[in-house]
Amino acid sequence: MNRSRGFDRLLRWYPPQWRDRYGPEMVALLEDTFGSRRVPWRVRVSLMRNGSLERVRGVGWAGDIASSRDRMKAGSTLIVCCWSLFVVAGAIFAKFSEHWGVATPVVGRHLASVGYDAVQWSGEASVGIVVVAALLVVPTFARFLRGGGWSVIRHSVVRTTSFGLFMAAATTGLALWAHDLSSPQRNGGLAVYGAAFLLWGVGVVVLIGSSTATMVAATRPLTLPRRITRTEAGLAMALVLSMVIDAAGVVTWWVAEARYAPSALGGHGAGAFLGMPDVLPPALLVAGMLMVFGLVVAASGVLRVSRAFADQ
Amino acid sequence: MVGSLGRNNEPVVLILTSLASGSKHGYALSKDIEDFAEVILGPGTLYGAIARLEERGLIERTSSEDRRQPYRITSSGREALAGAVREMRVLADEGARRLGLDELARGRTHRPTILGSPS
Repeated sequence: MNRSRGFDRLLRWYPPQWRDRYGPEMVALLEDTFGSRRVPWRVRVSLMRNGSLERVRGVGWAGDIASSRDRMKAGSTLIVCCWSLFVVAGAIFAKFSEHWGVATPVVGRHLASVGYDAVQWSGEASVGIVVVAALLVVPTFARFLRGGGWSVIRHSVVRTTSFGLFMAAATTGLALWAHDLSSPQRNGGLAVYGAAFLLWGVGVVVLIGSSTATMVAATRPLTLPRRITRTEAGLAMALVLSMVIDAAGVVTWWVAEARYAPSALGGHGAGAFLGMPDVLPPALLVAGMLMVFGLVVAASGVLRVSRAFADQ
Repeated sequence: MVGSLGRNNEPVVLILTSLASGSKHGYALSKDIEDFAEVILGPGTLYGAIARLEERGLIERTSSEDRRQPYRITSSGREALAGAVREMRVLADEGARRLGLDELARGRTHRPTILGSPS
C-alpha cells in the first residue's frame, strides 16, 4: 500500500476544503515525522479531534466569525441540530409512554397529564417553528439553486433522499408485517419482529441525522437577507424555549409516573435485565441524556445568536 | 497582545517565534519549536494554529513547487509577536520582582545603581 495514501486516510476527519488546502503538506509532515514507522495513537486521536474541530469551525459553530449575520445563522443552525436530538428523544418517549394512561391510577394522572400534554404541545409548536423557518429560506434557496448551487449540495441531498426512500419502503414493509401480528407478538413476543423494529429505529435515527446534515450543508452557502436572518434567529430562540418546555414536560411526567405508577416505568424488561431500578428505565435515560446534551449545546447556539444580536 | 495571541506556550506564539528567524515548512517548524521551547506540537495542533495565523494575516505562504509549503511571518505577525513578547516581559519582570529574583528582574524594579560597580 502506498504510504502517502495511508497518511491521507488519517486526514479524513478534516473537511474537504481543509484537505484541499493543507492536505498535501500535512501528509508531507507526517511522512517526514514518522517515515515508515507506525503513527502513534496519540497523534491519530489528535488528528481526529482537530479534524472534527475544523469541521465544527467550518460550519461556524466555533471560532471567530467576523460577520454578526453569519454568527447568527451559525447559532440558529446549531439550535436546529440540537432540536433534531429532541426529535429522537421525543420518538423514544412517545414509544415508551404510549400506554401510560392505562397503568396510572387516577390520583397520579393529573400531574402526569400536565407533563405529557406539555411534551405534545411543545413538540407540535417546535415542528411549526421549524416549518416556518424553512419556508422563510425558500426564496433565497431557490436563487442559490438557480445560481448553480445544486452541485454544492447534490451529494448530501441525493444521499439523504435515497436513504429516506429506503426507510419509507422499510416502514411500509414493517407496518404490513405488524398488521398480521397480534399485540403480544408486536410487543416483545416475536424476537425477529423486535429485532427488525430495533433496526428500523436505528434507521430512523440515521435518517434524522442525515437530514440534519443536509440542512446544514444547504443553509451554509446561503446569504440570507438581514431581516430573514434576524427572524430565523428569533425562531431559533423560540425553538429553544419549546425544547426547554419539552424537557420539563418529560421530567414532570417521569416524576409523576415514578411516584404513582412505577410499574409503568419498569414493565419493559430492559431495565430489569440491566439491573436498573424500576424508575430509571434505560429508554427514558437515553431520551433524557439526549435532551440534556441537546440543551447544553443549544445554549452555546443561544449565546452565539444573542452576542450577534448585541453586536448589530 | 498576549490576550489576542494567547499564552507564551500557545502554538500560535511558538510558530510566530519560530518564523521570526526565517521562513519554514511544517516539519522544520515542528523541529525548531521542539528545539527552542521543548514543546512537541502534533501535526493537527500545528496546522490548526497555522490556519488560524494565516486567516488573521499574521503569516503567509511563500511560493513553492514542493508539497512542503514554507510559511513566513508578515509585518502584522511581527507586530503581534512583539506585543506578545513585551507583555510576557512585563509579566516575567513582575514575577521575578515578587519572588525576589533580582538577577532576572528588569524595567519596573527600582534597584539603586552604584556608579562604578558591576550591575
